[in-house]
Amino acid sequence: MTKLSPQTLLGSLPTSFETGPEWLRALRGRAAATLREQGLPTKRTEAWRFTPVRSVANAEFSPEQGSAPSLTSPVPEGVTARSLRQVLEAEPTLLEGRLDLGGPPTHFAALNTALFSDGLWIDVPAGVAIETPIELVHAIPTSSERGVAYPRVLITVADGAELTLIETYAGEDAGQLTNSVLEVDLGRNAKMSHARVHENAGLQVGRVDVRQDADSNYRSTVVTLGGALLRFDVRCLLQGKGAECQLDGAYLIDGEDLVDHHTLVEHQASHCRSRQSYRGIVSGNGTAVFDGIVVVHRDAQKTEAHQENRNLLLSETATVHTKPHLEIDADDVVCSHGVTVGSLDEDQLFYLRARGIPEDLAHSMLTYAFLESIVEGVSHEPTRARLREALLTRIPHGDRVRGFT
Amino acid sequence: MLKIEDLHVEVDGKPILKGINLEVEAGQVHAIMGPNGSGKSTLAYVLAGRDGYEVTKGRVLYKGQDLLEMAPEIRAAGGLFLGFQYPVAIPGVSNIYFLKAALNAIRKHRGEDPLDAIDFMKLSKEKAALVQLPDELTKRSVNDGFSGGEKKRNEIFQMAILEPSLAVLDETDSGLDIDALKVVAEGVNSLRGPERAMLVITHYQRLLDYIVPDVVHVLIDGQIVRTGDKDLAKQLEKEGYAEVRDAQPL
Repeated sequence: MTKLSPQTLLGSLPTSFETGPEWLRALRGRAAATLREQGLPTKRTEAWRFTPVRSVANAEFSPEQGSAPSLTSPVPEGVTARSLRQVLEAEPTLLEGRLDLGGPPTHFAALNTALFSDGLWIDVPAGVAIETPIELVHAIPTSSERGVAYPRVLITVADGAELTLIETYAGEDAGQLTNSVLEVDLGRNAKMSHARVHENAGLQVGRVDVRQDADSNYRSTVVTLGGALLRFDVRCLLQGKGAECQLDGAYLIDGEDLVDHHTLVEHQASHCRSRQSYRGIVSGNGTAVFDGIVVVHRDAQKTEAHQENRNLLLSETATVHTKPHLEIDADDVVCSHGVTVGSLDEDQLFYLRARGIPEDLAHSMLTYAFLESIVEGVSHEPTRARLREALLTRIPHGDRVRGFT
Repeated sequence: MLKIEDLHVEVDGKPILKGINLEVEAGQVHAIMGPNGSGKSTLAYVLAGRDGYEVTKGRVLYKGQDLLEMAPEIRAAGGLFLGFQYPVAIPGVSNIYFLKAALNAIRKHRGEDPLDAIDFMKLSKEKAALVQLPDELTKRSVNDGFSGGEKKRNEIFQMAILEPSLAVLDETDSGLDIDALKVVAEGVNSLRGPERAMLVITHYQRLLDYIVPDVVHVLIDGQIVRTGDKDLAKQLEKEGYAEVRDAQPL
């Protein structure tokens, strides 16, 4: 491959798409057209007003050299994991209609759609229940040049099938941009447990789109341990009756870092349940953004939807912007949302100190416990242990808490 | 052990304790009885060092030292224990490791080596049996999902592990049925000894049938209005606080 000179993100869009099946060329063409028309988000873009990406939009990146995520676990029997590029070359019809994010993508998702060169398709056929997790690592290497990666993953879990997926986004280089899209299709009665760990030092924009058929169950735990700038959108479309999703998140923000979570849960069918719990600790000059929307469509009677965002502020200069909201068009529903932004619980602190635990250790214990309750939801024990350890290395005086967990 | 001299305490500018005098010797069990709002819990919290209680007058000496100057954890390390009326739940912090942290912080303060995991588990098993606290509860998050009785047993379990010199038990009987009360009282009684003092705060005489005090004080409207032996508690039970309230302070 010839070495191309660095370009801005929009500047790297080709004028026409010449390779791949016709439907993909059309999909990429529409994404590129949307981008040319709308550009990348600015401060005036409502969903991005706390998350400035102008410097990203203006920066020049060396072109992507192919950034398929690596499978770091064996693929269990009965499951197929294939390169998107290979499937698109050999059997493109298998993917037709499955990479379109359920509608015209905008901004970074459009950029990924237009420019991803490879990726992964994991397919779990009907009735296949996989207990051992599939592990993916998206690592962006350190480089003297600013690079960009467009990981693209498609997960299809057919009727009655089950999958556990563990994703890790890694990379030490703060200058690199990872712009990922992961789509999930859950069939009837399908089940997926999804843990996603962000420990990338660089810029990250990620989107997860989940489409759920009747009685399916999707559970995600997103743990963000670092990143200069992270924007993560997760959208769950509950399309079949009785579908359930649980979206949990934990974030630790320090220094000048900014972490922005957007969630959208659409209750399109009746008897669906959704739960969201996002918790974060913000210190230094860090900024946390949480924006969660639950939409209950008119026919989605007997909906149960709960949403919670809790934040601990550990410094005077830390900032939290949080906005959970509900849009309800059905009348027979149980919905709730709640937000807290504050410091540690005084009653708990006093209880620990009254038992002889020094104040700083009591702080660390409660800080750890605050996020641990999210990590606890990760079903895969080794991953849970790794995340606990990661929390301990990052919270103040965490090493002192280690002996007591 | 404990000497309280003319203690005045305000909460949000409102006087709650209005000149408490009290002296507890090692080996003694004192009961403080009083109706709701008399200042019983305030006294307990002031002794343990909770924020929000302003001492406007008087002093408290603990083992000859100024107790009110000390941070809560220093008081605990010095052997003061507060059994909470409403023990708080702490999801995510396991009971057993919290207690190990507490015990080892106290041991460190005393210049003793920390207890290792094996010795601690042995100690924990022994003390849990004392208050019939199921093994499963010792491993759960602190007080998380515990019933009222389990919380109170957990308090006495902690006290048994920490072996304080002075235990202040704030309404340890509230919310307990008679069987649970007996278990808790037995736990407390087993910890009585010549080196240890206890201040048992209660609304009802019932607890004092099982934890028999050496001295009984009656606290009304922020002042100790009567002091006597265990029979005073029985008299209170019969006549009620109203009768005692009308009596002149001693």
